[in-house]
Amino acid sequence: MTNSIVMMAQGLTKSYGSVQALRGVNLEVRRGEIFGFLGPNGAGKTTTIRCLLDLIRPNGGTLRVLDLDPQADPVAVRARTGYLPGELRLDDNMKVEGALRYFNDLRGGKADWNFVRHIAERIDLDLKPAIKNLSKGNKQKVGLVQALMHRPELLLLDEPTSGLDPLIQQEVLGLIADARSGGATVFFSSHILSEVQEIAERVAIIRRGQIVEVAETASLINRALRRVSVRFEQPVDSQALAALPGVKLLKQSDGTSVLMQVEGKMDGLIKALAAFPVSDFETEHPSLEEIFLAYYESDRTEAK
Amino acid sequence: MITVFRYALRRYRGQIIGWGLAMFALGFYLVPFYDTFAAQQEQLLDLLKSFPPQLTAFFGDMNTMFTPNGYLTIEYFSYMPLIIGVFAVVAGSGLLANDEENGTLDLVLAHPISRTALFTGRLLAFVVATLGILLIGWLGLVLPMGSSKLLNIGWAEMALPFLSLLGVLLLFGALALALSMVLPSRRLAASIAGLVLVASFFITGLARISEDLQGVAKLTPLHYYQSGDAINGLNAGWLVGLLVVAAIFAGLAGWRFERRDIRIAGEGGWRLSLRRRKATV
Repeated sequence: MTNSIVMMAQGLTKSYGSVQALRGVNLEVRRGEIFGFLGPNGAGKTTTIRCLLDLIRPNGGTLRVLDLDPQADPVAVRARTGYLPGELRLDDNMKVEGALRYFNDLRGGKADWNFVRHIAERIDLDLKPAIKNLSKGNKQKVGLVQALMHRPELLLLDEPTSGLDPLIQQEVLGLIADARSGGATVFFSSHILSEVQEIAERVAIIRRGQIVEVAETASLINRALRRVSVRFEQPVDSQALAALPGVKLLKQSDGTSVLMQVEGKMDGLIKALAAFPVSDFETEHPSLEEIFLAYYESDRTEAK
Repeated sequence: MITVFRYALRRYRGQIIGWGLAMFALGFYLVPFYDTFAAQQEQLLDLLKSFPPQLTAFFGDMNTMFTPNGYLTIEYFSYMPLIIGVFAVVAGSGLLANDEENGTLDLVLAHPISRTALFTGRLLAFVVATLGILLIGWLGLVLPMGSSKLLNIGWAEMALPFLSLLGVLLLFGALALALSMVLPSRRLAASIAGLVLVASFFITGLARISEDLQGVAKLTPLHYYQSGDAINGLNAGWLVGLLVVAAIFAGLAGWRFERRDIRIAGEGGWRLSLRRRKATV
């Protein structure tokens, strides 16, 4: 593993009885990047992250985290990692500050308490209340502070914005971006594609325990589906356009305007349109949601 | 490990005070009462003769009940493993499985602390909490000693039955802990360990009146509990035996904890476990 690779998984498998959660996961996360780990519930995101911290043991494959084997040296891996669990549970009998001090003590008192107060202030977290009186959103904030407070080299965040309202989601994404600016590598799982689109540089899509795609977020958006809207000066026969490879007619009205979905390169469509009197041409970037659905759609078609 | 120990012990505070004070109050009540009790021994003996031997067998030898040691055995030490055993079984089974089932262990173990250190720190806290409860209980018996003219046992002698009790409690706590590491839920582990405790109590008691049960009774931990008899001299072999078995159970639990997956919240029972795992992977 080169120094620029912070986390690497090769052929990672994990099963729970007859349920195969991971079926050979291959991943590489580079130093200093924000890496989105996308997949629906049950795809294997949590299982992968928990293997990285030696909370569960894989049945096969190789794992390296920060150049260490998590099973052989779990304490060293955890010392340099900040973790936010997908289903965060805190001791209800503690107060917020007490819980954070406990986590800090478990790290040998490494955190700078001024920095802890700074993060808490930034996300509007009061340190005085008892954990049991906190809303889910505020508990999630406690989880984030404990993950960030010792300025880890690697952040493993499992669905960090899950269950949060949009304002807090934005705060959380801001904190993640700040952590990266401070030199951290961020690996975060999500099934909310828009947030990955917002901050991740690279994305892996996991489905049924296998990575189906790893790509730059931008290239993923560019190369997949596009929605094209064309207006003509006079009615045309749009069937000729629909017959082009990768083009699907979504809507047409009186022959003067069409809405199409184009998969792959635009070249064929542009050349075909040159034969028509075009008055307006618009193309939309697809959202990651659409790309994501397209992956699943194609997978389902292949399965048939 | 020190942090784990400190925080785990802090969580036992309420239980140490609660169980300890209950034992303290019972001792504080029983010691001054002995003089009155001894003065009425003829009437009480007549009354006891009317009880079936199957009942009195659980509380020790009734012929010695008017001696100070016999009195404390029957009124205090004979049933104490059953009472404080509840603490040992619940605390032992919940030492790790409780946090695992409520989901807090996941985050704790994501910190730079080895499983061995977590296990050892919490186990030590359990041992210290048990010692604390027994210490408060012991004070409840020795502090009012001057209030009785007839009951006069030295502080050191009075500590001996508590040592015997400690051996039993650690054994049942460690058994519950070991079971919690192999069974799918803390509750099941506590139930089985509790069942062994109750069965052990009855078999040991009934073996006093039935020779047939004496062989089986030797296989139960409470056979090696000396109760108030320890005041006359501690059977060190029995105590060491109890502690060795406790250490074996604790060792098995630690070995298992090192090797198993840490479950996340809600992965409790067998059926629930499969459903939740599918939902959270």
